[in-house]
Amino acid sequence: MSKDMKFLVVDDFSTMRRIIKNLLNDLGYGNVTEADDGATALPMLQAGSFDFLITDWNMPGMPGLDLLKAVRADARLAKMPVLMLTAEAKREQIIEAAQAGVNGYVIKPFTAVTLKEKIDKILETRANAA
Amino acid sequence: MSNGISALQEEFGGSIAALAGALAAGDEPRFLAELDALVQRRESSLFSELQKLTSDLQGALNRFRIDSRLVDLAEKEVPDARHRLDHVLKLTDEAAHRTMDLVEQCGPLAERTSLQAAELVKLWHRFRRREIDVQSFRDMVARMDTFLPAASVDMDRVRVNLNEVVLAQGYQDLSGQIIRGVMKLVGELEVALVELVRLSKSGRERQRVAGGNDETRRGYGPVVPGVAHGPAVSDQDDVDALLSGLGM
Repeated sequence: MSKDMKFLVVDDFSTMRRIIKNLLNDLGYGNVTEADDGATALPMLQAGSFDFLITDWNMPGMPGLDLLKAVRADARLAKMPVLMLTAEAKREQIIEAAQAGVNGYVIKPFTAVTLKEKIDKILETRANAA
Repeated sequence: MSNGISALQEEFGGSIAALAGALAAGDEPRFLAELDALVQRRESSLFSELQKLTSDLQGALNRFRIDSRLVDLAEKEVPDARHRLDHVLKLTDEAAHRTMDLVEQCGPLAERTSLQAAELVKLWHRFRRREIDVQSFRDMVARMDTFLPAASVDMDRVRVNLNEVVLAQGYQDLSGQIIRGVMKLVGELEVALVELVRLSKSGRERQRVAGGNDETRRGYGPVVPGVAHGPAVSDQDDVDALLSGLGM
């Protein structure tokens, strides 16, 4: 995995997408695409060669948890790293996301350092597993 | 009908007879006392009927007042509140984008100033240590001639942008006022509904709409202090601890 990795950022708020995109650019990841909910994101994921998915949970249309489950259920996408970046803070939700196969969970409001740490951690774990 | 007249005979017969007796006997005080008692008995039942009627009327009026207030709230003010909240969304969205635009404009200016200043600092230190030749000195002076006015212009732009960033936060005042208005409306709606429930005396327990699972699936949104949805984490450390407890 390199800085050429292709990210898909899914959030219903354009400002939050922009914030995440800017942070990713600052971290050196210049290839970032946006989607505003799971229903828009899923066909993009299926059609494109994305390497990393960052998704919100609470969105109109398809919520992030459903997107995560759909990704894990799709043989071609099942192994994609998924980071959930959300304001959802209930313990049972975090447990549910973990059970659905999320690779990282960042709670909003978040810092640039936290986002970097979680992305690095996910990539490191995957590199070790490969 | 005969029942009616016999009830009247039973109720008033004694009093009438007593009245007639007093009149025949020319007993004025007894006649007046009997008359008072008769009138009072008649009035008290009239008053109690009137009281019941007034209370019913009051209830109907209250209900009408609440009904019409609810209709007004439902037809006009709730959709109006939706528009107002939509406007809050728009305001916050615009302010956030405006702020980010300004910050993004400042980034390259600050970076350019910082890089050029760092290069000049190196030359300056060499000059102070007397390690610089005449050509390098001329080069340094020429670069300073370019750098100083450019830095002044760039930093002026940054200062203007920072002021604009501060101004963009004015959305908080506007959105705060709108949200307060909506909170007031929600309060009124609550009072009217509670009053309606009290008047209708349904006494039935409010039934929770099924679908808690769906809410968990779709999400609750950010934690709002005082509005609980069950145990929640308070920060990223909590999330990390929970996930590491699950073996992640």
